[in-house]
Amino acid sequence: MKTTLTISALACAIAAPAMAGKPEVVSNYVAIAYAAYEDSLLKAQELKGAVDALLADPSADTLNAARQAWIAARVPYQQTEVYRFGNAIVDDWEGKVNAWPLDEGLIDYVDPAYGGASDANEYAALNVISHPEFTLSGTTVDASSITPALLSDTLHEADAIEANVATGYHAIEFLLWGQDLNGTDHGAGQRPWTDFAAGDDCTGGNCDRRGEYLQAATDLLISDLEWMTAQWAEGGEAMTTLTSDPDAGVIAMLTGMGSLSYGELAGERMKLGVMLNDPEEEHDCFSDNTHNSHYFDGLGIRNVYLGTYTRVDGSVVSGESLSSLVAAADADVDQALTAGLNNSVAQLGRIKTVAESGTSYDQMLARGNETGEALVMAAVDALVAQTQDIERAVNALGLQDIGFEGSDSLDSPDAVFQ
Amino acid sequence: MRLIALLFLMPLPAMADVAKALDHHVLPATAQFSSASHALADLAARDCTAETLKPAYQDSFDAWLGLSHLAFGPLETDGRALTVEFWPDPRGLVARTVRGMASDADPIVDDPQEFPEVSIAGRGLMALEQLLYEPEIGDLARADYTCRYIRALTTDMAAIGDAIAEDWQQHAQLMQQAGQPGNNRYLSDKEPTQVLYTALLSSLEFDADQRLGRPMGSFDKPRPKMAEAWRSDRPMRNIALSLAATHELATTLAETEIPATEAAFATAMASAKAMDDPRLIGVEDPQERLKIEILQQQIRAIRSAVEAEIGGDLGLTAGFNSKDGD
Repeated sequence: MKTTLTISALACAIAAPAMAGKPEVVSNYVAIAYAAYEDSLLKAQELKGAVDALLADPSADTLNAARQAWIAARVPYQQTEVYRFGNAIVDDWEGKVNAWPLDEGLIDYVDPAYGGASDANEYAALNVISHPEFTLSGTTVDASSITPALLSDTLHEADAIEANVATGYHAIEFLLWGQDLNGTDHGAGQRPWTDFAAGDDCTGGNCDRRGEYLQAATDLLISDLEWMTAQWAEGGEAMTTLTSDPDAGVIAMLTGMGSLSYGELAGERMKLGVMLNDPEEEHDCFSDNTHNSHYFDGLGIRNVYLGTYTRVDGSVVSGESLSSLVAAADADVDQALTAGLNNSVAQLGRIKTVAESGTSYDQMLARGNETGEALVMAAVDALVAQTQDIERAVNALGLQDIGFEGSDSLDSPDAVFQ
Repeated sequence: MRLIALLFLMPLPAMADVAKALDHHVLPATAQFSSASHALADLAARDCTAETLKPAYQDSFDAWLGLSHLAFGPLETDGRALTVEFWPDPRGLVARTVRGMASDADPIVDDPQEFPEVSIAGRGLMALEQLLYEPEIGDLARADYTCRYIRALTTDMAAIGDAIAEDWQQHAQLMQQAGQPGNNRYLSDKEPTQVLYTALLSSLEFDADQRLGRPMGSFDKPRPKMAEAWRSDRPMRNIALSLAATHELATTLAETEIPATEAAFATAMASAKAMDDPRLIGVEDPQERLKIEILQQQIRAIRSAVEAEIGGDLGLTAGFNSKDGD
């Protein structure tokens, strides 16, 4: 009798996941977002520690340590990108932290080949680090002190130009690495540590202002990530919006997966760079870290589907998955989508492996590099193919009947097109 | 026998007429572009002066608008749509690339096998527009270089036109054999319909948000030079042609009457026709700008009508589109 009871209790325990529904799946999605944003924040705080150390004692070693901290900070952040599409609260905010590509001459000195102000952007070569005062859209700006407020309220997207990126990861990246002047040859930006040196050792001019800019941008990144982490915490706006309407939550999950896979990563960030042979179309163009950015984007998409996220300390956040929900509706669709996600992560992993072996992402974009093109395009094709399976999952779950078109990125493209 | 009878008795779900859309809309458009791009290349081979080529360039662009909204499958393969027309181009890459080619006299234009290696910013209609309509380009390069470049570019584009037309023959088969064993692209009858429906909605979105939205900029900062192909006077024409193409797709795809969609198209097409502003420079004038804003709203209203009438009828929602990124 006792044995029977135990067995049936066990059977219930095993059966329980299959019975779990949208609310559990959405709660787990929220839990993963919270963990990934909190990880991004923790890593940004470590970056700040490294930036402070660089500015306190500029040297090749402290600059290198700050660069390594930046690369590490990207690992959790890129895994959050899948939350952007489908969640208006993230999409409206993300331009502050991850906008690209940027006209970096807005921020600091650039190579003469960069050119100056262009038709598209009068302020492409403003160089705020060397100008304590300048005119912007007819107004004189006092930039004698470079503060987070100056960057976020005045400089960022100045003159309503999206290439005027003054804040976020890529502005910091530019300050740490400088321009990558190697084109599609090997090598990242080569900013010397002396760009942050005091007194006569200073190169590039205005080292103190450059340090001030770097600190302000890092502080701003932290405060922006603090805000976003709070939105996903218990009672936060993102958390309450999604958990109060699990159908909309599931739609947000699939919208994020599909839009990042197809239009954004496969299209805008990968295929376009290959077809333009343009290293400036690289997502992390100063640091040559693009292979990682793409890989962790892909991993983030799979995290959402499988309902699992490995934190930066190695602990795992895991729970009811979208995969189990789809499997209950149509096992074939689930199997195809799971296989598709595994394939895209593997294809992005090949790019990462090759880059880490010394052939950087920008080299893969070079005109006539057929091997590089094939490598990138294999990942693009995998991402495009998985998007078709994501659409099938939408249909399998019957979401078209409850208004899939209501999702943010599909219905109001203004929110997506910057 | 009984089974067949039973099947006939089952209520038919509302089905889109994919075959009609393919035969009366898609395939003729691909043939038209292929033929126009060949005519352009043939003419360029004989006489590559700008004044001779401009009308043929305009014809090719017109033909392109007949199919550019079908941004999946054959147009997506090898980035063909992006190659034929690289726009929007907020960083001015087309001008930069074409100038770079001209000032370096890049010899790749003499090798038809290698020319497709050139950046898409140096190929297709937008690069050709620079070569034909931007007088400075002629000063940068010796005239014979410009001519060789134009010949390489138009030959390349004609080859893309052929590849699109050929691939579409096969893709049309795939769409019509949806759900059959071995068809991994279209697993059910609904999928080809959904793909065409997504193309329809995405194109209307592109007209409103990009073709009109980019030059509109903001009220304080209108950006007429962000309009599509303004050098060759095409911004308004492209919108009118795009509406005509999406209208044709909507009417061939729908099985039932679509009066609200028809009315919405008629309204927007009439406004577009009445607009005497080929380059959309009116974005800078408050009065004219209002008319452009109204057109934008009218195009968005078509989208709503399509969603309600065609999407609702067929139980469809838009899938993801290739322009979903930021």
